[in-house]
Amino acid sequence: MHKLGRGHRDKVQQFMAITGTSEKVALQALKASDWHLEGAFDFFYSQPQIRAVTDSRHLEELYNRYKDPYVDMIMVDGVSLLCNDLQVEPQDIVMLVVSWHMKAATMCEFSRQEFISGLQSLGVDSIEKFREKIPSLRAELKDENKFREIYNFAFGWAKDQGQKSLALDTAIGMWQLLFAEKHWPLVDYWCQFLQVRHNKAISRDTWSQLLEFAKTIDPQLSNYDAEGAWPYLIDEFVEYLFENGIVQRGN
Amino acid sequence: MVLHKYGEKLYSGLVTTMTWHLKEIAKSIEAAQGGLFLEELNRKWGDHNKALQMIRDILMYMDRTFVPSNRKTPVHELGLNLWRDNIIHSHKIQTRLLDTLLDLIHRERTGEVINRGLMRNITKMLMDLGSSVYQEDFERPFLEVSASFYSGESQQFIECCDCGDYLKKAERRLNEEMERVSHYLDAKSEAKITSVVEKEMIANHMQRLVHMENSGLVNMLVDDKYEDLSRMYNLFRRVPEGLSTIRDVMTSHLRETGKQLVSDPERLRDPVDFVQRLLDMKDKHDKIISIAFNNDKTFQNALNSSFEYFINLNNRSPEFISLYVDDKLRKGLKGVTEEDVEVVLDKVMMLFRYLQEKDVFEKYYKQHLAKRLLSGKTVSDDAERSMIVKLKTECGYQFTSKLEGMFTDMRTSQDTMQGFYASQYSETGDGPTLAVQVLTTGSWPTQPSAPCNLPAEILGVCEKFRAYYLGTHTGRRLTWQTNMGTADIKATFGKGQKHELNVSTYQMCVLMLFNSADRLSYKEIEQATEIPAADLKRCLQSLACVKGKNVLRKEPMSKDIAEDDAFYFNDKFTSKFIKVKIGTVVAQKESEPEKHETRQRVEEDRKPQIEAAIVRIMKSRRVLDHNSIVTEVTTQLQSRFLPNPVVIKKRIESLIEREFLERDKADRKLYRYLA
Repeated sequence: MHKLGRGHRDKVQQFMAITGTSEKVALQALKASDWHLEGAFDFFYSQPQIRAVTDSRHLEELYNRYKDPYVDMIMVDGVSLLCNDLQVEPQDIVMLVVSWHMKAATMCEFSRQEFISGLQSLGVDSIEKFREKIPSLRAELKDENKFREIYNFAFGWAKDQGQKSLALDTAIGMWQLLFAEKHWPLVDYWCQFLQVRHNKAISRDTWSQLLEFAKTIDPQLSNYDAEGAWPYLIDEFVEYLFENGIVQRGN
Repeated sequence: MVLHKYGEKLYSGLVTTMTWHLKEIAKSIEAAQGGLFLEELNRKWGDHNKALQMIRDILMYMDRTFVPSNRKTPVHELGLNLWRDNIIHSHKIQTRLLDTLLDLIHRERTGEVINRGLMRNITKMLMDLGSSVYQEDFERPFLEVSASFYSGESQQFIECCDCGDYLKKAERRLNEEMERVSHYLDAKSEAKITSVVEKEMIANHMQRLVHMENSGLVNMLVDDKYEDLSRMYNLFRRVPEGLSTIRDVMTSHLRETGKQLVSDPERLRDPVDFVQRLLDMKDKHDKIISIAFNNDKTFQNALNSSFEYFINLNNRSPEFISLYVDDKLRKGLKGVTEEDVEVVLDKVMMLFRYLQEKDVFEKYYKQHLAKRLLSGKTVSDDAERSMIVKLKTECGYQFTSKLEGMFTDMRTSQDTMQGFYASQYSETGDGPTLAVQVLTTGSWPTQPSAPCNLPAEILGVCEKFRAYYLGTHTGRRLTWQTNMGTADIKATFGKGQKHELNVSTYQMCVLMLFNSADRLSYKEIEQATEIPAADLKRCLQSLACVKGKNVLRKEPMSKDIAEDDAFYFNDKFTSKFIKVKIGTVVAQKESEPEKHETRQRVEEDRKPQIEAAIVRIMKSRRVLDHNSIVTEVTTQLQSRFLPNPVVIKKRIESLIEREFLERDKADRKLYRYLA
């Protein structure tokens, strides 16, 4: 950095502060855009491989820190150690976002491949960087489309391997977590309804349709259409809401 | 004069003379008193016509040359016009003529006899003067007066007459008016005057007539008043919405009574009576429609849809209809000719057509048929077959294939038994005779039943048969359905009297135990036979608790079987008959849990059918929205049952889960076919 002029040095600092990348990446991006800060940002965001510049040696070290002593995977203990290091609760929804980025197949487990390429795509190679990344990951939940992806990802992530559907208890836990973000007022009734009336596992279709339902149908159910091809469980839920006077039947 | 160019003078002279003359006539007509007025008018009209004829003949030359070239009115027409202007439209005559005519008609309506010839001539005169004269000066006021007359009269009638009488009166009035038109009015008036009568007498009072208390349409239907109904039909047909009014009332009446019939708990006790009542009701209304309603198609449709509506209100209808057939084929058809059998079966088929849940009927029919065949209770093989053929034509091969399989099994079993005894003839001593019916699994409604322990004697023969059968048919498996068989056993009682007992296999097993013991407790019997508890209780009940057939004695004496009861061989059993048939106390009608079970089986059977239909549809359509699938599935399966949309939805979801279908990414109401 000493070789750079003062103006250039400021720009590198600024770039690093905003994007949270290493000096190397900042230099590369700034040089490619002829030291224009704006151009460098465009360059940086349009070429993700740049972001992935992470030290694979560091990644390997990180992985080994959490790896299970007996299998080549990060298991429950490793995950809780990771949470500890990241200073988040294991039940924090942000862990779902992390898993989503890692394309993790199952809850509380990361394979070597998932972990390393996940961190690479996040552009993280140390626990400090990872910790700094957490707020921006949390922010992704606010994005409508990303939320949907994360929501749908959660189904496969949370269900038991080899099962087609999601166990009811898990599903209810996930819903309470996810809909706490969305502020869907009917979520508690929904969970209550499932426990009273259904008491069986949840299919993927019902899972994904529920988000659509929560998003498109207002809590007074005024735009609910019985012919609307909703899964029957949702139809029954609506009936349940009317029956129990939770929602007044409109006209 | 025309030749000498005095045509104009001649013509105008004619006009003046004629006008003057007619004014004179008018005066004399006006002078005529009362009733003579019309006659005078008529006579003068005749004279005028004659005179006009002559004048025309005399002035023929002028008529041919001068009149057309000068565009004058021809002489004859001129004469008529002058008559019209001077006589008919003369101030005094015009109103008097009209009043007189209307007064005469009114008098005739109230029953007086009037001079119809005179009326005819006068109206003829009006018509000759041009149709507008007739219409303006007579027809219009005539129609108005008629309207007010009939509106008043109908009001009066409806207050004091019942529906039937009212309709009779209305019909008579209508005929009178038509007769009147044909006698002395213009034929064109008929449609107009009848429409007035129709409107005033029928259309305005339609609702009131139909709903009239104690005599309205409903009462007519109930009392089979064919004449009144037919009259109503013919009258109401004339007015708009008349028939639909009758139809609507009839439909709601049918639905109401039908609903009462099918939901009356009293009726549900006796299925045969229940179905008989339905058939009677159908017969009754068929007859009404054919006699009184001209076999109107729309009425037949209304009748059909009403039946379809209420028959399906009761979900036991399929079972009951099958029980009815069962009853008929068991005993009801003895001594009845073949044609009559056909008639009964055809009627049943008619009810069958109304059923939405034909698959439920099939289930029950199979059960009942199986019982009939196995117990040899069926009266006529021809009738059985004819019923199957009817079901086949109605619902197709698939529906009856299993039923037909049952018949085939019965036939082959006979042959097999013959073969069996032919091969064993040397060994047939006085051991029990066995008659086996080999039933194909799948064709018969067999419940998986735990086989009971057969007595040793029987077991021996059974084993022989098994060896014989498996020897001729390799690769098959035989299981004994001991819950469906019957047996004849000979028993000797206290005083040495012998009886032949006709019992079920289970009962036989129980009785055989008493060959070696006089007293057995319930537990002992249960242990020795291993008959399922419910069946055992039923069978003991029929052996010990039915008066006159109590070959066993029970302690303590009571109606029901308890687990700690004890049973004794009844020494003192007597009967007037040598052969005693001991029926099991069978629930003819299904009990609630059985019904529930059948229901569930039906629901289960429907699932694959619905799924198959969905897949068939999606295979050809690739992409389809939810509601269209539901509609198409419903149409496809309608001939067998009415699928519930919720069930269809569940099946779709199940297919999504098994990845036959997926939801469209963009439109969640759209499904795509995968693979």
